[in-house]
Amino acid sequence: MATNAVNEFNQQVKPVSLWADAWKRLRKNRMSLFGLWVVGIYFLVALAAPILPLYDYTEQNLNHVNLPPSLKPAGVVAVAQEQKAIDQITDLVKNQGRADLQPNLDQKIAEMAQLQASLAADPTSNNVYIFGTDYLGRDMLSRVIYGGRISMMIGLVGTITAVLVGIIIGAIAGYAGGRLDNFLMRFVDIMYGLPYMLIVIILMSMVPQGTNSTVVLFVAIALVSWLTIARVVRGQIISLKNSEFVEAARSMGAGTGRIIFRHLLPNTLGVIIIFSTLQMPSFIMNESFLSFLGLGVSAPAASWGTLVSEGVQGMELYPWRLLVPAIAMTLFLFAMNFLGDGLRDALDPQSKNRA
Amino acid sequence: MMKFIIRRLLSLIPTMFIIITLSFFLIHIAPGGPFSGEKKLPPHVLANILKKYHMDEPLGAQYLRYLNDVILHFDLGPSYRYEDQSVNGLISATMPRSIFLGFVSLLLSVALGGAAGIISALRQNKWQDYLSMSVAVIGISVPLFVIGPVIQLIFAMQLHWLPVTGWINSRAGWVTLIMPAVTLAFPYFAYIARLSRGSVLEVLRSDYIRTARAKGLKESVVIGKHVLKGAMLPVVSYLGPAFAGIITGSIVVETVFQIPGVGRIFVQSALNRDYTLIMGDIITYSAVLVFANFLVDVIYGFLDPRIAYK
Amino acid sequence: MKRVLIILFALMAVGGLVAQDFIMNNNTEPQSLDPSLIQGVPEHHIYMSLFEGLVINDPKTAHALPGVAEKWSTSPDGMTLTFNLRHNAKWSDGHPVTAQDFVYGWLRTLDPDTGAQYAYMIGMVVKGANDFNSFAPDKNKSDADNKAAKEALRAAVGVVAKDNYTLVVTLSSPAPYAIDMMAHYAFSPEPKWAIDKYGSEWIKPGKFIGDGPFVLKEWAPQDHIKVVKSNTYWDARNVHLKSITFLPIEDNKVAYNKFENGEIDWDYGVPLDLLDQIKLRADYQVAPEVGTYYFIFNTKRAPVDNVLVRKALSMAVDKKTLVDKITKGGQVVADTITPDMPPYKAPAGNPYNVAEAKKLLAQAGYPDGKGFPPLTIIYNTSDAHKKICEYVQAQWKDNLGIDVSLQNVEWKTFLAQRSQQHDFQVARAGWIGDYLDPQTFLDMFESDSGNNDGQYTNAKYDNLVKNDLKEKSPQREKTMAEAEKMLIHDDQAIMPIYFYVSQSMIDTRKWGGWFNNPLDIHNWKFIYKK
Repeated sequence: MATNAVNEFNQQVKPVSLWADAWKRLRKNRMSLFGLWVVGIYFLVALAAPILPLYDYTEQNLNHVNLPPSLKPAGVVAVAQEQKAIDQITDLVKNQGRADLQPNLDQKIAEMAQLQASLAADPTSNNVYIFGTDYLGRDMLSRVIYGGRISMMIGLVGTITAVLVGIIIGAIAGYAGGRLDNFLMRFVDIMYGLPYMLIVIILMSMVPQGTNSTVVLFVAIALVSWLTIARVVRGQIISLKNSEFVEAARSMGAGTGRIIFRHLLPNTLGVIIIFSTLQMPSFIMNESFLSFLGLGVSAPAASWGTLVSEGVQGMELYPWRLLVPAIAMTLFLFAMNFLGDGLRDALDPQSKNRA
Repeated sequence: MMKFIIRRLLSLIPTMFIIITLSFFLIHIAPGGPFSGEKKLPPHVLANILKKYHMDEPLGAQYLRYLNDVILHFDLGPSYRYEDQSVNGLISATMPRSIFLGFVSLLLSVALGGAAGIISALRQNKWQDYLSMSVAVIGISVPLFVIGPVIQLIFAMQLHWLPVTGWINSRAGWVTLIMPAVTLAFPYFAYIARLSRGSVLEVLRSDYIRTARAKGLKESVVIGKHVLKGAMLPVVSYLGPAFAGIITGSIVVETVFQIPGVGRIFVQSALNRDYTLIMGDIITYSAVLVFANFLVDVIYGFLDPRIAYK
Repeated sequence: MKRVLIILFALMAVGGLVAQDFIMNNNTEPQSLDPSLIQGVPEHHIYMSLFEGLVINDPKTAHALPGVAEKWSTSPDGMTLTFNLRHNAKWSDGHPVTAQDFVYGWLRTLDPDTGAQYAYMIGMVVKGANDFNSFAPDKNKSDADNKAAKEALRAAVGVVAKDNYTLVVTLSSPAPYAIDMMAHYAFSPEPKWAIDKYGSEWIKPGKFIGDGPFVLKEWAPQDHIKVVKSNTYWDARNVHLKSITFLPIEDNKVAYNKFENGEIDWDYGVPLDLLDQIKLRADYQVAPEVGTYYFIFNTKRAPVDNVLVRKALSMAVDKKTLVDKITKGGQVVADTITPDMPPYKAPAGNPYNVAEAKKLLAQAGYPDGKGFPPLTIIYNTSDAHKKICEYVQAQWKDNLGIDVSLQNVEWKTFLAQRSQQHDFQVARAGWIGDYLDPQTFLDMFESDSGNNDGQYTNAKYDNLVKNDLKEKSPQREKTMAEAEKMLIHDDQAIMPIYFYVSQSMIDTRKWGGWFNNPLDIHNWKFIYKK
């Protein structure tokens, strides 16, 4: 075993302290530490969601439809909102010659009366929706939190399967070269070429009713998620496999597996981590596309992806329905990215000896 | 090298063949058919339609007929949904628009993304780095179906600078290209910026750069000649599938900005079970894709002298 | 750059002012322009500009107005219609429009080789049409025999050109709605000489020949279709629009944005999430439509095979709140399958009544929803359906204490599951009438109907619906009402939810001749700029 500390190509110097070392470096990077905190809080909230004092994310309240974020009780916000609508229509009817809107006005006034009557009697009018409500008067806060549970899981499971499968296939293809490489890469081409949407549709129709659709969802995501990363890893391995440090390891009698996993892969870790953090958003968004096909969470449950795509539809009138889930999701992805960057730096075999 | 290229080119043929065969049968397994609708057709009417398109024959015979038409006559058949159009006609009408838009976006994203990535790597952990990486993270984490409508809301609905939708042949002309091209370029920009930043950092630390510096080469030469070349690898291997994806159109961008491209009919044909049109789309897309991946493999050889093709 | 933009917008503004050029969003690329092959609303819009049948739809009532037929008469037994064609009707190449063109067009649509979907429309009313359309060659016979058999069937179809300008149609039953139906594209005349010459290319620009108020000018697939005023149309003096451009914008939000920015003149279908604001606009048009939104119960699947359960579920949904707070577009609560179609008077259904619903559910053996088996509603993916299903789910939970789950699927899978395999318990459905008669709703629940997705069977119902065709008003209306009562009250085969409304964005202060009507059909020849 080489013990030469000056040789920067040999990461076998201190094999035991690899992770401890990385942790030390990670802690020094402020941005990634921030990322770590955010991600940690997200997971904590997601795990603790059932015991947090949240409104039921499926509970509808048609008196509280599309309320903006506010710290005031829902009843007060709803009355204010209704009054605004009445003022607007009154103006149209009185000042702009829109007598045809009189029925709308009458309806609004009747609704207002009913709303005010229910204020005292209805205990839900004391609810506080700090992130507003959606089109059925459901609490956006709890919908975003419960949506995050499924979306974060999809992001992680998708990324992990993509990375594992992608690394193995890519590394084997790149290192072995020749026929095997050609075969594996043509297989990747074929997987790219097949109509993914139809495969998902077929997959769903073959699964017997009542099967846990989340499992099918993960299968559907895992099916294609590894393709690009396999190609990227393969490219990296090809370019590294003839470098001096690999030759050195080989001449010292290291086996193929050892060369790939101990020498080549750590050197491609940077690209792999960047790629994984890059792909995570696409998995999360992919879920909303798959739920269009009927795969994924069924209503009334929601994921970040479905919340965001619903929010876009009404963004002119109810911006919070887009902003709340979009910001929640983006913040999480930001944190994951910074964390990924930090990990990359921390695990970089070359920076290690420089520390 | 030449031998490698030829062998690699030949391997595209069986790949395409397998894709065509698998897709053909997969499509017919999918539930529902091209002629189902809210109002069900009387059986004899449906029988007439199936007969017209030879769909009353056994699937194997249909497959052979299809292969024969595609390979010998280069005829992808009539569309089942757009009954007056041939698949050849539909794809050749819509594809150039997607390719054009795709190229503009790709150029935009490679130029800007590459620059942003290199600058952030060279100024690692400085404000330039944080700024461009934050923009990049927004680019990848905010989906196109949000970016598109928001851009449209601002520039068309609020500022009235640009028409809501349109294509360059419409009255408004070339300006219609601005919003879709920027929207489509955004995620690719982000990907390229992130990837090139990472690989530039990687390369900067490698021994051959250190050697180059040690030899006393000017920093601009080191960066321009050695770093960039080495750093392009992951970007290039990403660009293969990205290229195929971007020029075959994006359903979201084409829907939001009403671009008569191939991306929309790609998705719609699958939803409509327009068998011939899906097949045409798959053949076009996978041809572009396998060829792009082939190019990537060849470019590897040029970019990285360490790669030896045997 | 800014100056360029300003000039550009000035140009666009001027472009918008050029009189009588009309731009509409047609929602999707048409499947075809060939009258024998078309189906659906977007195709119908284009058809009305390019072709004219015997009659056209009145812009206010949607009933028949003279088209190519100047006048018509019905035989005393109601089985024969005679149409007298006007002599000045011309095709766009100058040929006169003759009775033979109608015979040719109908028979081409019916010919099995054409594979026309709407052939069944002719088959519903014209004698011998279904027989010809169902012809399939007998493999045991010679080609010549088969050909002769087919020609015999062709000749037996009840449409004959008595002379160049007289068309005699023999009906299969005295359907009172037959005349109105003749405005449908399935009954279009077709130019034989053009079709013989160009084959399937005859509806492409440059080759196109039509007899409508406009002719096809440009067709860029997925981009736009442009038609311009025809000089040969018999009533060209009264056609005001110079051109119409049809855009295939599928996303109703994008289309609405375009309308709001003044880039299109008419857009139908509006984004649900913006309806609170849209419905206050002066250019928002809403009108009742002959269509019903409902849930189908699969009468062969537990627990909804039990009529008590079906009634309980139907009576436990507050539809008024649903249309006020969720669909918002002025839809009308429905307890029946047939919308308002005078002189027909629909029977009373089972209205919202929670107490009664609970009682029925208890009678069915599930007091307070206890022990109620798993139930799933399936719907095809769409924001609107999702909202409605979520609401119904909550209603059943709150009012009956039962848990149901929701499952969305993409359209074609949904159709396979609902209409072919009947593999569902409760499914959403919507039905738009093909013509102004209750029959268009009632006949889909006959036991052997292809559209009877809930597998409802009731021999008495079948009899009533078959018999009413032979009866005369007002007895006929009574028979139909009796049948409908069975369907929606006694057996509760479906749960009606609301009657559709047509929703359009068009500024009627700017455009005249556009009226709300029950079929939402707006013939182009009447539209003009005020």
